[in-house]
Amino acid sequence: MLQEGSATAAAAPAVRSLDPRVIRLWRVRAALWTVALVSAAGAVGWLASGPPAAAIAAAAALAAGALLAGTAPAARYRAWGFQLREHDLYLRRGVLWRSTSVVPHARIQHVDTHCDPLERWLGLASVVVFTAGTTGGAITVPGLASAEAESLRDRLAALGVRETGAEAPGGDPRSRDVDAV
Amino acid sequence: MSTPSDARAAPAAAPARRLHRSTLLFEALRIGRAFVVPALLAALGAADDGPGRTTAVGLGVLAVPALLAAIAKYLGLRYRLTTEELVIDSGVLSRRHRVIPLRRIQNIDVRQSWLQRLASVAELRIETAGGERTEAVLSTLAWTDAEALRAELLGRRAALGHAGMEIREAAPPAETLARLSPADLALAGATANEAGLAAAGLLGLLQLVEDLPVQVPLPGVDPSALIPSPPAVGIAIVVAALLALSLLAGWLLSIIGAVIGYHGFTLERAGDELRKRYGLLGRREGSMPIRRVQTIRVEESLLRRPFGLAALKIETAGAGPGQRPRAGAEAFLPLARRRDVPRLAGAVFNDLDYATLRFHPVHPRARRRRFLRYSAPLILIAGVTALATRPAALLLLLLVPLLFLIAHKQYRHMGYALAPGYAATRAGFFNRITWIIPDRKIQTLHIHETPFQRRHGLATVIIDTAGGGRSIASIPDLPREEARLLLDRLTTRATRTAASSPIPT
Repeated sequence: MLQEGSATAAAAPAVRSLDPRVIRLWRVRAALWTVALVSAAGAVGWLASGPPAAAIAAAAALAAGALLAGTAPAARYRAWGFQLREHDLYLRRGVLWRSTSVVPHARIQHVDTHCDPLERWLGLASVVVFTAGTTGGAITVPGLASAEAESLRDRLAALGVRETGAEAPGGDPRSRDVDAV
Repeated sequence: MSTPSDARAAPAAAPARRLHRSTLLFEALRIGRAFVVPALLAALGAADDGPGRTTAVGLGVLAVPALLAAIAKYLGLRYRLTTEELVIDSGVLSRRHRVIPLRRIQNIDVRQSWLQRLASVAELRIETAGGERTEAVLSTLAWTDAEALRAELLGRRAALGHAGMEIREAAPPAETLARLSPADLALAGATANEAGLAAAGLLGLLQLVEDLPVQVPLPGVDPSALIPSPPAVGIAIVVAALLALSLLAGWLLSIIGAVIGYHGFTLERAGDELRKRYGLLGRREGSMPIRRVQTIRVEESLLRRPFGLAALKIETAGAGPGQRPRAGAEAFLPLARRRDVPRLAGAVFNDLDYATLRFHPVHPRARRRRFLRYSAPLILIAGVTALATRPAALLLLLLVPLLFLIAHKQYRHMGYALAPGYAATRAGFFNRITWIIPDRKIQTLHIHETPFQRRHGLATVIIDTAGGGRSIASIPDLPREEARLLLDRLTTRATRTAASSPIPT
C-alpha cells in the first residue's frame, strides 16, 4: 500500500483520493445488500426447516453483512486513488484484488458523469471514461463531489480531443472516433 | 474530411437501384424453412387433433405476414451510392432512410449459398465500426452487381481516404499471401479439434479393455471394489464404443467441412486491404481494410504444434464504446505453416519485424501457482474419496505428474516481447495463443494482483484493445516491479503513437 503510493507519487500531481462521503455511500449500499441477504437467508431457512433455522440463517447473514459494511468501505476508500497525468488517467483500486489502470487521453472516446439517487442524495457523482477497448472499455471513478466530477469530466473530454488530434475540424465526430480506432 | 452535407450537394445523382428479382424466391425459401417445414413436421408428428396440429396451423398462419413482409421488403428497398455514402431506403409502410458513410465501413462481405450460386446471385453485407450487428445486408443482388458494388465501395472509400473527392482509377494489383490446397484444408480440419485424437484414444482403450483379464489383482485393493460387475462393464463398453464412433464421425465431418467450406481459400493483399475468398458450394468473398486490424492472433493448438502448424486470426474493432463486444476474432487464415507466420504478420503490419520478437519469460513461480491450482482440487477429491469410500481413488494421484507437466509447459509458453511499435504476448498450453498488438491500437492498460499473487510479489498485465472478444491479451505472473515498468513503458508508447499519427495506417 505505502510502497505503491510512494512509487507513483513521484510523477507530478499527487494521487488523489475519492470524496470521503463515498464511504457512507458504500456503507448504505452494503446495508441495503445486507437487508436483501438477510431476508433471502431467512426465507431459505424457513422453507428448508422452520423458524429456528430461519433465525440462525438470518443472524449469520446479518453478522456477515454488518462486518463487511463496517470494514470494507473504509478499506476500499483507502485503496482508491486516481491521478490525472499529462498524457493519461491513472487509477488504482481494490483491497484484496488490486488493480491499476491507465487510460491514455488519446484513447478517450467520450466521458460521462453519472449519479444514482443515493449518490445524488450525498452530493456525489461518478465519472465514466469510455474507450474503444472491449474489457476495460468503460472505466469508472466513483464517489466524487458533484462539482469535482463535472470538472474532471470536462478536463478529460478536452484532453481527449486534444490528444486524439483535431484532424477533423467540424467533421463527423463519429468518423473521427472510428479512424482513431 | 468534409461534412456530409457537402457530399449530398456533390454530383451524387446516382440512380437508385433495387434488389434482384430472385429476392422473392429466396425470401420464400427462407420463410418456408422457418415456418412451413416445422409446420409440416408438427402436423405429421401430431394425431388428428392436439397441440401438434395447433402448432402447425399457428406456424402456417404466421408464415403469411412473413411472406407479405418479404414482398414489401423487396418492393420497398432502394439503394444508391453517392461519393461519400451508401444510402439505403427501405420499408413500405414505415420508411427507413439509412445513410452509411463510406468512411465508416469496416468490412464488406459477399456471400453466396450454393442455391444462390445456382441462380448467380449473392448477398452483400456491410459492417461498420460501432455497429453491434451487420449494418446493412443487401440480399439478394445479382452476383455481378454484388461484385461491382463491392469494388465500387472499396474504390470510393479508398479515394476518400486519400485525396478528397477524386475516385482513384483501378485498384492496386493484388498480391497473393496464401492459398490453401485441399490437402492443407484436410489437415486443417483434421487438427481443428481433439475429436479425432479422442476417438482414437477411446478405440485404443476399448481394445485394451477387451484384452484385459476380467480381474486385475492389485495388491492391497479389494478387486471387487475396483472392477464393477459384468453387466456394468458391458454397458460401459457399449457407451464408450458409441462415443468413439460419434467422435470419429465428428472428426470426419470436420475434415469434410473444412475441405468443402474453405475450398480454394485464397488470401491476398491489395493496397491497404486484405481480401479472402473461399467456398466450393457456397462462395464467400470478404475484404477488410488493414488499418482496422487491431491485433493478430496466432493460435497453435496442441494438435497442430507437432506439425508446425498454426491458425491466424485478426481482430477488427467490433463494437463501439459502451456496447457489448462482438465475440471472437475473424479467421484470417485457417491454417498456416509456422515458418510462414512472420511473412504473413509482416504483410498485415508492414513495419513489424516478427523475427526480432524475443519473448521474455514470466516469473518461475507461475509454474508452481498453476501446478497448485490444478493439483490441489485433485488431491483433495482423491483423498476424501479414498478415506470415505474406495481407496482405489488414490490412483487419481497418478495424474499429478501430468498436471505438473502441463503447468510446466504453460509456464514455458507464457511471455511477452517488445518490438519497435509492437507488443506481443503469448500463453496457453492446449491452445497456445500469441497476440501481436500495435502500440497505436492499445486502448487501456491494467495491472491486476490477486491476494495469492501478492504473496509472491507477482502481478498480471492486461493489454486491452478494441478488437477483443472473450479473450484478451494478458501477461500473468510477472514480478511486480517488472509489471509496473512494462505498464509505464507501454503507456508511453501508446500515448506517443497517438500524438504523432492521428490516423494510423
